[in-house]
Amino acid sequence: MLRILNIPQLFWVLLAIPAAAMITGFVGDPVTAFDLVHSSGEFSIRLMIIAMMISPLRAIFGRRLWLDWLLARRRAIGVAAFGYGLLHLLFYLYDMGEWGQIWEEVAIFSIWTGYLALLILAAMASTSNNRAQRALKRNWKRLQQLVYPAALLVALHWLYVDGELQAMAVHFVPLLILETARIVLMFKRRSARNAKQALTG
Amino acid sequence: MKFSQAMMALAAATAMQFAASPAAFATGKMKCDAGPQSGWKSRSVLEAQLKKDGWKVKKSMVDGGCYEVYGVTPEGQNVEAYFHPVTMEKLLVSQRGKVIFKK
Repeated sequence: MLRILNIPQLFWVLLAIPAAAMITGFVGDPVTAFDLVHSSGEFSIRLMIIAMMISPLRAIFGRRLWLDWLLARRRAIGVAAFGYGLLHLLFYLYDMGEWGQIWEEVAIFSIWTGYLALLILAAMASTSNNRAQRALKRNWKRLQQLVYPAALLVALHWLYVDGELQAMAVHFVPLLILETARIVLMFKRRSARNAKQALTG
Repeated sequence: MKFSQAMMALAAATAMQFAASPAAFATGKMKCDAGPQSGWKSRSVLEAQLKKDGWKVKKSMVDGGCYEVYGVTPEGQNVEAYFHPVTMEKLLVSQRGKVIFKK
């Protein structure tokens, strides 16, 4: 059973199932675009957060089998996060239905933060292949680290569109705690290392 | 400090800033103290009135004791609007979180 789960293509199919359901619903009844804006955005953010949690979890717990399993699939999870973000944009554009109004909303803080975050995810997703990774060398990692400002933009986008803290916080606080723990651990390990060097050196 | 560390610190600092000051976002956008629901006008009356005024109503619900309507104003703006369920008075209109009308 677990073997089947490990087929890479199957993991992509799993990631695509909610999208297929959303698109089917939309084709059946285009009015649902209004509701799908929210659910597609939420899926995008959840996948982004899951992809982002892998590094701090590894920093905290070290190498674990389940973390290696996730790490091997991080690229797929990240690309899917962009896919749902794109779907989110398409449902939004359809629901708006008028270019003049779409353009007017770009000037609103809650909206341009979303566009900017999606642009960053687009740059990351389009370089999420081995060839781009080789070609960009050290800059590839730099580019992928743009996920941190993207996460910040997404959090602001959600907070300001929604006008309520709770739903956004439920998603981002766990990530924030992990990143804080990672930073604390990093400084602790560094000072321990320095102390050891001072003793032996 | 490396780029990644700077970015993480920035993300953490901003997020903590928001976690520490939830006042502006904690309680929803509008509260109505309109008594028991039996005394309220029905939501369909509100929707009919809005449509007559040139609005397009996408969705309506009860939020914070008010009627909350997602729709398009006669000017074409996509908004979230709050109305008093007894007086039907317009209380707040927000365009993607930007307040464009407040009583």
